[in-house]
Amino acid sequence: MKILALEFPGAETQTLFNETRLENLRRLMDMGCFGELRDPAEWNVLARHENHTLTLMEFFQQANKQCASFDDFSSLRAKLEAGDWDFCQLTARSFPADNWSADDYMNFDRELGDTLQYLSDDTIIAILGKGCFVLASANNPLSGELKNASSTDVAPTLIELAGYPLPSSVEGKSWVAGMELKSSSGLTVEEEEILRDRLSGLGYI
Amino acid sequence: MKKVIVIGLDGFEPKIAEAMIARRELPNLMKLQEQGEYSRLRTTYSAQTPVAWSTFSTGTNPGGHGIFDFLTRDPKTYLPIMALSRYEQKNSFVPPKVVNMRRGTPFWDLLSAKDVQSTILRVPCAYPPDQMKGRMLSGVGVPDLRGGFGTPTFYSTRKDLHADQSEKVVNVSVDKNRIATCVIGPRDPKTKSDHKFEINIQIDRAENKITVISQGQPDKLEVQLGKWSKWLKVKFKVGMMQSVAGIVRFNLRQIEPEFELYASPVNFETEEPLYPISSPKEYAHELAMKIGRYYTAGMAEDHDGLNLGRFDEATYLDQCHIVMRERRRMMEYELGRFESGYFYCLFDTPDRLAHMFWRFREPDHPSNHGEYNAEFANAIEEHYRECDAIVGEAMKYVDDETLFIVLSDHGMNSFQRGLNLNTWLDENGYLALKPGCQPGDGGDFFENVDWDRTKAYAMGLGCIFLNLKGRESNGILSNSEAESVQDGIVSGLAGLVDKDRGAVAVRSVVRREHVYSGPYLSEAPDLIINFSEGYRVSWDTPLGGVPRGLFADNRKKWGGDHVIDPALVPGVLFMNRKFRTESPSLVDLAPTILNSLGVSKGAEMEGSDLLS
Repeated sequence: MKILALEFPGAETQTLFNETRLENLRRLMDMGCFGELRDPAEWNVLARHENHTLTLMEFFQQANKQCASFDDFSSLRAKLEAGDWDFCQLTARSFPADNWSADDYMNFDRELGDTLQYLSDDTIIAILGKGCFVLASANNPLSGELKNASSTDVAPTLIELAGYPLPSSVEGKSWVAGMELKSSSGLTVEEEEILRDRLSGLGYI
Repeated sequence: MKKVIVIGLDGFEPKIAEAMIARRELPNLMKLQEQGEYSRLRTTYSAQTPVAWSTFSTGTNPGGHGIFDFLTRDPKTYLPIMALSRYEQKNSFVPPKVVNMRRGTPFWDLLSAKDVQSTILRVPCAYPPDQMKGRMLSGVGVPDLRGGFGTPTFYSTRKDLHADQSEKVVNVSVDKNRIATCVIGPRDPKTKSDHKFEINIQIDRAENKITVISQGQPDKLEVQLGKWSKWLKVKFKVGMMQSVAGIVRFNLRQIEPEFELYASPVNFETEEPLYPISSPKEYAHELAMKIGRYYTAGMAEDHDGLNLGRFDEATYLDQCHIVMRERRRMMEYELGRFESGYFYCLFDTPDRLAHMFWRFREPDHPSNHGEYNAEFANAIEEHYRECDAIVGEAMKYVDDETLFIVLSDHGMNSFQRGLNLNTWLDENGYLALKPGCQPGDGGDFFENVDWDRTKAYAMGLGCIFLNLKGRESNGILSNSEAESVQDGIVSGLAGLVDKDRGAVAVRSVVRREHVYSGPYLSEAPDLIINFSEGYRVSWDTPLGGVPRGLFADNRKKWGGDHVIDPALVPGVLFMNRKFRTESPSLVDLAPTILNSLGVSKGAEMEGSDLLS
C-alpha cells in the first residue's frame, strides 16, 4: 500500500480533535485511529544509528520506491493525480508554524478534502499535528483514540500497514504488531438491502 | 415580457378540471381561461412526474435528458435501481457524491447565461440542485435521511405487529406512563444496523397527549391525539466524530388499549442537510427562517402511512393540507420579492392525493374491498378548489408584463387491475425460469429467472428490456434476433384482453426508437407498454417479480395512477395569453418561456413557442 503523510506542526490537538466543522478530518478519525503523541521526538524517524538517523523517506529511497516530499498542496495533488508514487510527504509551508487562526483550520480541512479526492483505496493516510496524529486506512485494525502513543511508533506502524518488512534496527514499535489487518473492502451491506432502502416509499411499487 | 410565473399542479387531471370549470367551481382557473386560453397538454412517454418535468425543464424528449422512469435496471446485475440520481464514491476516504441523472440543458441555464434570474421551488429531478442565477429548492428526487423516497416508523405496544415494505415497526412497552424508544435514522454501511436517536415518551392520559422528551429541538415536543405534531430536530451520531441532523414529525394514533404512534420519514434539516438541496446552498435554510421548517423530502406526502393502514384518510388529508400550506407560504414569500425573470413553484399534492383517493370515485373499485365510503367521493374536487385558490393567490402578482402559466405534467386515471408483465413474458416464451420453478415461486429481483434462456424481462412502471448480448451481463440475443423478439412482443401484447373483465388491457406497445431520440436513447427501455384506462403494471412487476396469473386486482389504497398510454392522461395548460391550442406539448414550454423573456431557445430543444 501507499503512504501519504501530511504534517502541520502548527495545528493544535484541541482544535483538530474538537472542531466539528472539520468534516474531512473527522471522517478520517472515524475511519481509523487518532491520539496525542506523548514524546516530542520526530515522527518520521524509523531508526537511529550511531551517526545517522533513518527517516521514512530514506527507507523508501533505499527500497527504490517512488517517493517525494512537497511543501504545498497543489504540487502534492499533481503528483497524486499522476499516480506513480509509493510515499508522499507534505509539510505545508503556506500554513503558519504556530497560532493557527480559525480560518487556517477551515482551510486545512478544505485542502485535505480536495486532496482526498486523488487517493485510491490502497492508501494509508497519516496526519501529524502539534503533538497529535490521525491514521486512516482501509486495512487499519485500530479505531478510536489511542492513549499514550509514542511518536517513535508512527513510522514503524506506517511501514507495517503498508506491508513492508521492518528494518531490524527499528527504534519504535508498530501499534499493529501481531494484529490481523482488515481486508480492505469498504462497503459491505447486501446489495438488496441498499436497493430496498433507496426505493422505499416510492408508492408506485 | 418582464416576468414569467409558472404554477405547477402535479397530476392535475383535465377531465375533472374541465367538468369543474363547466360548473364554475374553479373561479380562478376559469378567469385565466377567459383572459387567455386553456388546452390539454401532451405529456411524455412515459407519463410520470420525473420524466415529464424533465422534459418541461430541458425542452427535449426523454432521449435528450435521460430520465425514462422512476426506475431503471443495472444491466450488469439485472437489479432495479433508482433512476433519478446516483451515488458515486471515488474512494473510501471521501463521502459519496450525489449525481443528478437528469441531463440535457435546463432552460434556466440559458436564462442564467443571459443574466436573467430564476426562482425555482421544488422542481423534480434537480437533485443535487442545478447551479444557476437565482434560487432553487430541489423537489422530487431528494431522499429522506435513509436515502430512499421515505421510510416512516410505526411505534406500537402490539407484539404481533410486523413491518411491511417501506416502513419500520418498533415494538414498545409502557412503564409508568413512560416509553423509552428511539427515532430510526440512516443505516450504517459498516455495521448494517440503523443509527438511532433516543427519545422518551411521557403519556398524559387525561389530556390525550404525549410529550416527546429528547436531546433534540425542542427538548419537549407535545403530540396531541390524532394531530400532526410540529417538527422535532434530531441528530444521529453516525460515528464517534460525525453526526447527521434530520427533522421528524409525529401523529399519535391511540393511547389505549394499545399505544400507537406514527413518525414521518426523517427529512433533511435545512441548516445541516446531509447533501445540498438548494442553490445557493444556504437558500434552503434562509427560506426555513422565513416560513418555518418544511418538508424537504421530494415526496412530502406520507402516502405509505395511509397505504399500510397506519393512519386513516382524514389524517392523510390533514397532512396534505400541511404540505400545501407550507408550499403556499414559500410561493407567497418568493412572489413577494420577485421582480423579474422566471418564477416556478410546484405543488405535488394534487398527484399524491389523487393516487390515494381515486378509489372513492368508483364504488366497485377493488381497492374498496367491497366497503365503499362515500365520505371522500369528492375529496379530489375539494382539493382542486384549494389548488384554484392558490392560483388566485399567484395571480395577484401578475401584471401586464407577466406571462402566467398553470400546468400539470400528466393527468390521473383509475388503477383497478394490474398486469403481471413478467408472467406474460414467461407464458409466451420470452422469459425463462430455472428448471422446476413456476411463476409465483420466487420474489422480487428476478429470483429464479434463468438468464441464459431469457430473451426479455420487465421492470419499472411498464418497461420491457431485451436480454441483449454485449449489453446485459448474461445477454443471449444478437441484434438480428432482437428484431424478431421485439416484433413478437409488440404483436403479442398489443390488444391483450383481460378475460375476467372482457376488456382490452394493453392498447399498444411501442419501440423506443419510435418515441425517443437523442444522446441518451441507449439508456431507454427497449419497449414501452401503453395500458388502457383502469390498468397498469401489477404491484409485483416494477421490482422484477414473476407472480402466478396474468392479471391481479389492485387492492391497495393507492387506487389511481397515470402510468398508462400517455394519450389518455394529458396534463392541463392554462395561460393568460392566447396560445396555439393545436396539440401543445410539454416540449413547447421551454421555448415559450425563453422567448417571452427574450432569450433564444437551445439548439436541442424540440418544441416551439406557443405564443408565436
